[in-house]
Amino acid sequence: MQTTTRFYVYMAFVWMYIAIIPKAHSQGLSPIEWTGYLRNYTGVLLQNTSDLSIVQNTLNLNLDHRSSKGGIHVNPTLYQSFDRELEWNLREAYVDVFLPNLDVRLGKQQIIWGKAEGVFITDVVSPKDLREFLLPDFSEIRTGITALRLNWYKGAHQLEWVWSPIFTPTRMPESSSIWAPDTPLPAQVTWDYSAATHTASIENSELFLRYSLMQNTFDLELTGGYFFYDDPALNVQRLPGSTIVRPEYHRVSMGGGSVSMPWKSFVLRGEGAFYSGRHFQTSNPAVEGLHLEKNNLHYMLGVDYAWNGLRLSTQFIQETILEHEAGMLQEAHENTLTVMANKTFLREKLGVKLFSYIGLNRGDALVRPTLSYALDDGMEGILGANLFLGSSGRFGQYNENDMLYAKLIYHF
Amino acid sequence: MKKTMATIAALMMAASGFAQLTGSEVMKKVYELPTGTDQQGQLTMTLVHKSGEKRVRSLQQFSKKTGMEEKKVMFFLAPADVRGTSFMNWSYSDGRDDDQWIYLPALKRSKRLSSDSKSDAFMGSDFTYDDLGERHPSKDQHTLLREERVGQTMCYVIQSKPVNPKDTYSKTISWVVKDVYVGLKKEFYDQDGRLLKVLSVKKYDKIDGYWTILETEMHNVQKQHKTEMKFEHVQYDQGIPDSKFTERGMTI
Repeated sequence: MQTTTRFYVYMAFVWMYIAIIPKAHSQGLSPIEWTGYLRNYTGVLLQNTSDLSIVQNTLNLNLDHRSSKGGIHVNPTLYQSFDRELEWNLREAYVDVFLPNLDVRLGKQQIIWGKAEGVFITDVVSPKDLREFLLPDFSEIRTGITALRLNWYKGAHQLEWVWSPIFTPTRMPESSSIWAPDTPLPAQVTWDYSAATHTASIENSELFLRYSLMQNTFDLELTGGYFFYDDPALNVQRLPGSTIVRPEYHRVSMGGGSVSMPWKSFVLRGEGAFYSGRHFQTSNPAVEGLHLEKNNLHYMLGVDYAWNGLRLSTQFIQETILEHEAGMLQEAHENTLTVMANKTFLREKLGVKLFSYIGLNRGDALVRPTLSYALDDGMEGILGANLFLGSSGRFGQYNENDMLYAKLIYHF
Repeated sequence: MKKTMATIAALMMAASGFAQLTGSEVMKKVYELPTGTDQQGQLTMTLVHKSGEKRVRSLQQFSKKTGMEEKKVMFFLAPADVRGTSFMNWSYSDGRDDDQWIYLPALKRSKRLSSDSKSDAFMGSDFTYDDLGERHPSKDQHTLLREERVGQTMCYVIQSKPVNPKDTYSKTISWVVKDVYVGLKKEFYDQDGRLLKVLSVKKYDKIDGYWTILETEMHNVQKQHKTEMKFEHVQYDQGIPDSKFTERGMTI
């Protein structure tokens, strides 16, 4: 279906809802609850202040209907940007059924796991939208997957089983985007997307399992999954006179967990995962396709502290490739630090926040200060900056993309 | 006749001495006032700026006592930008630090909070998280200062100084209704010993057989702003399931 046609079908559904609600209400049925926000987001690059890097208007709707036996949730979004086509999406659309000690959720849904903030270790169920790197709100970076989720619970214990028959990959930036990552590929390559999708089938389905426990001494999650890794491995074929690059998604197995616990005035957090069968790029021309299958470890240790309204948090993250080989583009140990400080003033009208990623291997960083002000209940203005430090590495590669931005958000 | 009068006077003195409670005994009675097995209701806070500007926050609150634990979960209803957020607190009568979690719908997960945030303002109001909870009497040293009337109501006046000198307040002074043991007024003093806030109870009543504070006002006398709080649709002993106070309960 054409994008325009799909948009009109979608709008027809929205107007149908609007038509139905008053009738349902008059018949004594509980109404559908509408919430959401409208946001303008305007950003300018510091290197060239005449260039607007983003001018975007967003409508985010949440439609909910709930009873003791179940409910529905629909989250349509509409993005209008100055340099893109009108983009609408159903971030979530699912039905809930509540049975004794068992919740069943079917449909498109965001599923968020783990205790780490700003990094993805066991949080592997919902794929990511990285078209603007890690800059959007995390609720927007994570996209929904179509899945059946069963959540069995008893007391403080929960066992969650997720089955998704449809593989959804990470959305990467266009090669012309300022957020396209550095690659060692030659300027002229031929892209072959024949292996970039997997048809929806039982064979290609993904499975995830999570056990969680919340109690007074600690919170625990144990997680596992058998799925396609959402980021592509690039299969590079150098032929005489041309280079063909084929993005591929490979099966991985993951086992891990996370824990958080209070200790004196602190909250200690930890999260770790072992991945079997991940693929990493190499520059070694003797390696077929220029990628290698390796196992890897990814973990985080973090601590939170709050004092007099000031919230502080820091995390150390290490990603280790086991049996690392010379020529691999990613180092054997990639170390990252995150730092967060947050405080509100004027009875929570004014908020000051700093969040920073620091790449310890290359000394690069992303520093994100923000200043928010509640103009009224539900209406918020935000001024912020994204500052990239260093000249290489995950963050330093974007050192020409330093940005100032403003957001005006109206929640309803 | 003289002997009879002396006997009556002696009996009155004995009775008076017998009825004279200590500050600790009064505060223990306040703490042990029956509150049912569980309680639910809707809390509305109106933040009033010194200019008169008002901002309203509302939430649905559920609480349940089980042995030494009191579990409470709050679902934020308004304003729109915090709707769907929930906050859970487990407090312990043996003096252990509370356990606290917050669920943010945008992030779709619950997060454990540091218990040191108890002195933070609750939703930007003049109440701290600590002010909204029940403070165990063993955390303070209590002194009965006097008895006096607040309006038509006779009250005990109790001064409470924290055992831990690093606590938020250097002392509080409470006016407790005699024979009912409901707090009617409370003054909070900052670490420099200056009056910081005054809590006034505007309305209290018996609901389902339990004394319940229904309307209060917290006035920050240093910053000249206040918060009015109403507790409505209060119900007791409705059999709130334990599952309400779990990770799943915070999200459903």
